[in-house]
Amino acid sequence: MRTKALLLGDIRFQFKYGFYFLYLIFTILYISLLYALPAAWREQAAVLMIFTDPAAMGLYFMGAIVLFEKGERVLDSIAISPVKPLEYVVSKLSSIALIATAVGLLIGLGGGVVANPFFFVAGVFLGACLFSAVGLMVAVNIATLNQFIVATIPAELFINIPAIAWLFGWKPGWLIFHPGVCIIELCQNGAYALSAAFILVVWTVMSALFARFMLAKSLRSLGGEKL
Amino acid sequence: MIQVQNLRFSYTKQPFIENMNFEVQNGEIFGFLGPSGAGKSTLQKILTGLLTAYAGSAIVNGSEVKSHDNGFYENIGVDFEFPSLYEKLTARENLRFFASLYKQHQAIDPLLDNVGLLPDADKKVADFSKGMKTRLNFIKALLHDPVLLFLDEPTSGLDPSNARRLKDIILQEKAKGKTILLTTHNMYDATELCDRVAFIVDGRLRALDTPRNLIMSRGASQVRYTFALDGREVHAEIPLDRTGGDDVLQRLVRENRLLSIHSSEPTLNDIFVELTGRRLQ
Repeated sequence: MRTKALLLGDIRFQFKYGFYFLYLIFTILYISLLYALPAAWREQAAVLMIFTDPAAMGLYFMGAIVLFEKGERVLDSIAISPVKPLEYVVSKLSSIALIATAVGLLIGLGGGVVANPFFFVAGVFLGACLFSAVGLMVAVNIATLNQFIVATIPAELFINIPAIAWLFGWKPGWLIFHPGVCIIELCQNGAYALSAAFILVVWTVMSALFARFMLAKSLRSLGGEKL
Repeated sequence: MIQVQNLRFSYTKQPFIENMNFEVQNGEIFGFLGPSGAGKSTLQKILTGLLTAYAGSAIVNGSEVKSHDNGFYENIGVDFEFPSLYEKLTARENLRFFASLYKQHQAIDPLLDNVGLLPDADKKVADFSKGMKTRLNFIKALLHDPVLLFLDEPTSGLDPSNARRLKDIILQEKAKGKTILLTTHNMYDATELCDRVAFIVDGRLRALDTPRNLIMSRGASQVRYTFALDGREVHAEIPLDRTGGDDVLQRLVRENRLLSIHSSEPTLNDIFVELTGRRLQ
């Protein structure tokens, strides 16, 4: 029940703070851009857009959300409420992943790349959760947006480069264990999609648990403890 | 409700809270008084579970604070000194959200009405004045009807009429049987509201008693009076409980020759200065 209450609160927060408006703008922009591209490029372009936007934007949006909450001292109130760190993480990740999946589906349908809706939705949803978890891990330990952008660069390089290489044809078998590659494979309904789904679930759960650990540590440090 | 024994805490290698011992009874308003940086807020953070790396024992509502579970927070309400609210949500949306985090909560509109915010319930918090945010933050701590309230400078920045309104609500909560810990450096609030106060300086408990006992420990109130003698104005002072034996005063009263007369009671601030050598404000 409390996770549901948190989720509804997060959706309201994201709506009021203009995150949904930003998603809308990106969706319109990307679908327009897709139709401006030659038809032969459209599939790869659509998958790249979905990977780098609805999925990966979770990382930045999560950073912005946590920084807003820190700036308005709302995390202090969360820390002295019955909310458990895992409930907070699940709610934040789900709220971002839900809107990311909706936007991803719109772009995917617009680009005509949704071959298997189940794998496609799993790829975008789990990918958004994964990126958001990374965003949360970083955001709880920093104070400004500039610090956040710099601190997320290594994670972005680690997730993005192999995934983009896979999308453009460099596909050694072992790379399927990479989380970014799993997202691409699921969105494209590739030959390894089923394996990719399981591997991505493992990455996402691990990331969520690590984000929970980082959040719990951060909430304890709100009191001023050096941890 | 609260038992603190041999409590020690440090942010660095230097001890900050040192060997603190006290108890707070059910239904009591207990005040922590001290200047800024004395350790009042740190103590509140320990008792609310935000700082857990302490030594000694701090038992709140039957639980050792450092090993509390999240159900611990169903029964305590915390009003931080600074507002912790979503600025782009309205007052009502903020309260609805925070209320939804607890198993049970009070109706929102009567709470807003109690602090005079009902007409502004659907305004964004960003458009609120500092005093309005303080009042909203205060009722946020009451939302789930907790048995134990931690209030950190609850009247800070409020105009006298709104400060009065909040103090009345604090007294109403006490009348309902709630236990209230008030952290403040406002001696007037502490004198008026607290059953007992603890003076905290440099992380140590310097005194703990009722405001009346602390004030009386300094001695009786004084009566000061002035009168004219040989064309000069003369000042005299005598303890209130010895005015019956002051022949000069008696004669001046009989002869209507007093130029002025007034009594002066020591304040908690006077006692604080006397005991600690520091000022509260």
